Amino acid sequence: MDISLTIFISMAVFAIGVVGVLAMRNTLIFFLSIELMLNAANLLFVAFARHWGNQTGLIWVFFVLVVAAAEAAVGLAIIINLFRSKKVVDIDQYNVLRG
Amino acid sequence: MTFFENPIQWILGCILILSSLGVILARKPVHSSISFLLALLTLAMLYLQLSAQFIAVMQILVYAGAILVIFMFVIVLFQDAYQQIARFDAQSAPSLLMAAAAIFVLALIFLGKRLVGFSPSSKEAPEGFGSVQAIGQALYVDFFFPFEAVILLFLIAVIGSLYIARKAK
Amino acid sequence: MLYAICLGLFMPLIGFLGLMTMASRVSRRWANVIGCSTIFISFTCFAVLLLFYANMGIDQLTVTLYNWIAVGKVNADFTLHLDHLSLLMTLIITGIGFLIHVYSIGYTEHEEDFARYFACLNFFVFAMLLLVLAGNLLLLFVGWEGVGLASYLLIGYWHDRPAAARAATKAFIVNRIGDFGLLVGLLLTFHTFGTSDIAEISRRVGQEFSLGAPLLILLTLLYFWGAIGKSAQLPLHTWLPDAMEGPTPVSALIHAATMVTAGVYLVVRMHPVFMLAPMTLQIVGVVGAATSLFAALCAVGQTDLKRVLAYSTVSQLGLMFLACGVGAFYSAMFHLTTHAFMKALLFLSAGNVVHMLHGVTEMEKMGGLSKIFTKTHWLFLVGVFAMSGIPPLAAFFSKDLILEVEYLAGFKTLFYVGLTASILTAFYLMRAYCLTFMGKPRSDDQVLKGTAEAPRVMLLPVTLLAVLSIVGGFLGFAFGKMPLLEDFLLDVGVTRTEQELSSGFLLTPETMMAIAGALLGIGVAFLMYTKFVDRLRRPLTLLKKAFFINEIYWTMIVLPFRAVARFVAFILEPKVFDGFIRVLEEGVQSVAHGLQRFQSGQVRSYAAWMIVGAALMVAYLVF
Repeated sequence: MDISLTIFISMAVFAIGVVGVLAMRNTLIFFLSIELMLNAANLLFVAFARHWGNQTGLIWVFFVLVVAAAEAAVGLAIIINLFRSKKVVDIDQYNVLRG
Repeated sequence: MTFFENPIQWILGCILILSSLGVILARKPVHSSISFLLALLTLAMLYLQLSAQFIAVMQILVYAGAILVIFMFVIVLFQDAYQQIARFDAQSAPSLLMAAAAIFVLALIFLGKRLVGFSPSSKEAPEGFGSVQAIGQALYVDFFFPFEAVILLFLIAVIGSLYIARKAK
Repeated sequence: MLYAICLGLFMPLIGFLGLMTMASRVSRRWANVIGCSTIFISFTCFAVLLLFYANMGIDQLTVTLYNWIAVGKVNADFTLHLDHLSLLMTLIITGIGFLIHVYSIGYTEHEEDFARYFACLNFFVFAMLLLVLAGNLLLLFVGWEGVGLASYLLIGYWHDRPAAARAATKAFIVNRIGDFGLLVGLLLTFHTFGTSDIAEISRRVGQEFSLGAPLLILLTLLYFWGAIGKSAQLPLHTWLPDAMEGPTPVSALIHAATMVTAGVYLVVRMHPVFMLAPMTLQIVGVVGAATSLFAALCAVGQTDLKRVLAYSTVSQLGLMFLACGVGAFYSAMFHLTTHAFMKALLFLSAGNVVHMLHGVTEMEKMGGLSKIFTKTHWLFLVGVFAMSGIPPLAAFFSKDLILEVEYLAGFKTLFYVGLTASILTAFYLMRAYCLTFMGKPRSDDQVLKGTAEAPRVMLLPVTLLAVLSIVGGFLGFAFGKMPLLEDFLLDVGVTRTEQELSSGFLLTPETMMAIAGALLGIGVAFLMYTKFVDRLRRPLTLLKKAFFINEIYWTMIVLPFRAVARFVAFILEPKVFDGFIRVLEEGVQSVAHGLQRFQSGQVRSYAAWMIVGAALMVAYLVF
């Protein structure tokens, strides 16, 4: 099975996710871009699992999925807390830890 | 590689890229999340095309069904707040960000060039690749310990997020 | 006998330690007793040793107490060496020291801090004894420094007087300049001979070095520089007149009889080395003569009674060095002995006056005191005559011996210089006597009514010293046979001329000149200061200020030093050293500042850097 295209697609989505992380000031979109990157990685895993015929890749995807879910929950909880103190969703304003 | 060899991948790929661009470029966050939903669904279909049925279903259930819903909730909660972003100037140097993005994209391009000349595997998918049985077998027998660890992780995440997001006294 | 030496040496030390530790708790009586008895015990020890030496004909004794320093090449033991020369010195030190201690009992009757006084005096005696009994130069240097310290402590005894404190510091510092020379000489001795043992050096120097070897000249010059500092010769004489700020007995003991003679002792002790360096001896003679004349001139112009005596001491020490310069070491020691008696006598009788007038030393405020000080003024007069060289009093024999030897050795100019100094000595001493004791009283009537003659405890030592001054000359002179002192000091090296002169009564023209000069000086002074005293009282400022040497030193040495110190403290240190540290500090801070920009707190910047890192990793994996 030829997975070259899938690889290309995965990289494109990942690049878009990176640009999103760097360019978006809304914290929620920032997080969304991170999820996008995770998904792109998942796609790559699945593609290679199919290429080599190895189930382990799929298990890996499974775990990534699960951890992403947990991370999204906790991350959003933190964002809610931050919003309560800062009153804005602008990620550039969350700079209290500056040195 | 051409369109006609695997047309599904081509079409799905285009939709995926477009919708992920939509995530970034949308004006309102709600539109972003809808775009994201489209991306997730497209991904699920791609998984199906790659014979990973269980993963595809899991993708829809977990990602589109749970994560996205949480995101939607929070976005709705902060509906009015996103407009205030225009009030402040961007603090991070835009040049730095653009440079980072450019470098990264370039790196990816180089990586892609190495990988794209991949000889297609002549291997057929093994029996029961991606099926629930196979996944279940691997999960409960071969990778049991990470499975249990992840459960513990979930517990901690639940308690943690409950604690963080509680109403301050 | 070894025990006698050790006992004699260490008794004053015990006295010092005891009095210092019990300073506040000891009663006046006990302090007096302890202070004087330690010196008396010391004196008896050495007197007994004298008997032994004289009767049994012992030449010298050496006792090593313990091995003090044994570091590689430097080997110095705590060795005491008692030969005739040091025995003479110890007798002078402890004898006159004892008399002065007794005198001090009366002098300190109004002082509160008497224990410290006696303690420091005892310490001084100990240090001086250590100096003369030392068997090697290192131990001698310890004693040398010890007497310097004792001098500092005693000059500054009234430490709440700023003038006294300044004088003490000045004495110590000027002494230090001399000590530096001695220290370098000591190091050079170690380098040259490998040891500092005096006996060994004296033995070896003749074998290893020839006459006039440059190394020896350097060595002896260094020793002499130390002696200049300690014995207040030109150019390091400035401390001695200022040292008169201390109590008068201190001036008598330290700055007349003993400490300042340490320089002469050093030269005489190292005479085997000095004899092999004729150039140094010439310098010694010239310096001695110049100092002698210079100090005599200065003494003529002083108005402070004690300063007259101080300059007189400097002058007489110059005469002693003059003698050494010709190689007449015996004459120098003889004059040292008689001078000790006479100067102590003069100082103590002056001290009587000063004490009873409650601290007045200016002769402007004295005058006509012979009516009150009936006994003291006779004693002072004895001192004046003795010092001037009127026969048959003490100094006639010793001073005349020096001048004679000078003349016969061929140094005619030095003879005339010495003669002039002697005439001036007679002049200014008589002047001091007249201004103090004769004429109309210049002090208030109230002061005159309140003073009386000094108490017996102060008069008795003075009287004893007067007796010694009268008969002391005969220690070194006898008709027809070798006098006692000369016999005693035979191993010091008595020249043939000295032998001839001291055993025969040679009425040479030089002697006549000396006697005539002395009488002239006394007579002129008597006339000037009793008949014409009202018209002549103002002395020449040049002389009074000692040719402005103090002022010259101040501008040429002290002020530049202060400028350098100020430069270092206010310019060098803040700008250079602190500036260097500040550059370092600011450098580190600017680096930190630069690094701070990485920690902006901006999530996106952090993400950007992470992405750059990831890209680099990808690039590494690709290539």
